[in-house]
Amino acid sequence: MARRPAPTPEELRLLDPDRMFVERLAADRAALATSVAAGDALRTRAIVHGLAGAAGTFGYTAIGDIALELDAAAAAGENLSQKAIFSLLEALERSLKSA
Amino acid sequence: MPLDTRATDAKAGRRELPVSASRSRILVVEDDANIAELLTRELRGLGCTVDGVRLGGDALLASRSTDYALMIVDLGLPDMDGVELVREIRRRAIEVPILMLTARRRVEDRVVGLASGADDYLGKPFAVPEMRARVLALLRRPARLRGEQLAVANLAIDSEALEAMVEGVGLALPRKQYLLLELLVRRKHHTTPKRMIEEALYGFDDAVSANSIEAQVSKLRRALRLAGAAITIETRRGIGYRLSSREAGAH
Repeated sequence: MARRPAPTPEELRLLDPDRMFVERLAADRAALATSVAAGDALRTRAIVHGLAGAAGTFGYTAIGDIALELDAAAAAGENLSQKAIFSLLEALERSLKSA
Repeated sequence: MPLDTRATDAKAGRRELPVSASRSRILVVEDDANIAELLTRELRGLGCTVDGVRLGGDALLASRSTDYALMIVDLGLPDMDGVELVREIRRRAIEVPILMLTARRRVEDRVVGLASGADDYLGKPFAVPEMRARVLALLRRPARLRGEQLAVANLAIDSEALEAMVEGVGLALPRKQYLLLELLVRRKHHTTPKRMIEEALYGFDDAVSANSIEAQVSKLRRALRLAGAAITIETRRGIGYRLSSREAGAH
């Protein structure tokens, strides 16, 4: 699948006029950090799965791409690597700073 | 695939509502609140009425009591797999078009989804204009397809011509009685609740008295009897009505 171009701020606003998805990203970032620290693999996987389905749709392609890769790995029975999860946390951080 | 959100803008996509979407009732089965909200907003922008549930069990209940023009079903639901939900809907002979939605990317997942009875498949993440195009395509489809299947015993319905026939002879019915008969035939395997009949026969502004539905059913029963139709309309006390065929073993 070809990578989508980064959306403009106007496109993001059209997709998320009430900024509910930005709030969700912030909540997911906090919950992901907590679940990783606690070693809660089930909760981590649930957050990743949710982001895999939603982030790209709302224009957050960098987050969505990483989450999709992690979700596919989890679906294939692989353990999620700490490195990949931290890259997802970093992508969340970057998006929240610019949102 | 470019991210073209311009179609969410009134200037780009909402100048004229497609006839196929206007007033269509759609059930969104999605546990992700943000995606559900986005779908609801966009579908309402197309002129659709949207109901939303997050559990497969609730979707089953809703699909039995309401005649939806389309269902959008996420594959990963909290209480059951979307494939399981679609199979159950088809097992109950509910012929609503279904658009399946999922983040699963494998070809096998798409094949299983379609084989279960879904009519189309949209991968997450999706572009809003593509979602809208697929919804409109599905809403255009069922009238043609379902029209070919509307027959019970010696009664046939041409839903394109809005005509009912008994053994090939046209049955002259007033509009409300025709709509009632078509609804009962479409739901021939199910009891049709009175509320659903009200929604099909009357607009929001129509005055509906307590016995309006009973009166229409009574008139339709008489018309069917006089025409020699081999079906009867059974009353399910406190629930609604169901067609029964006089042919052995058939409904």
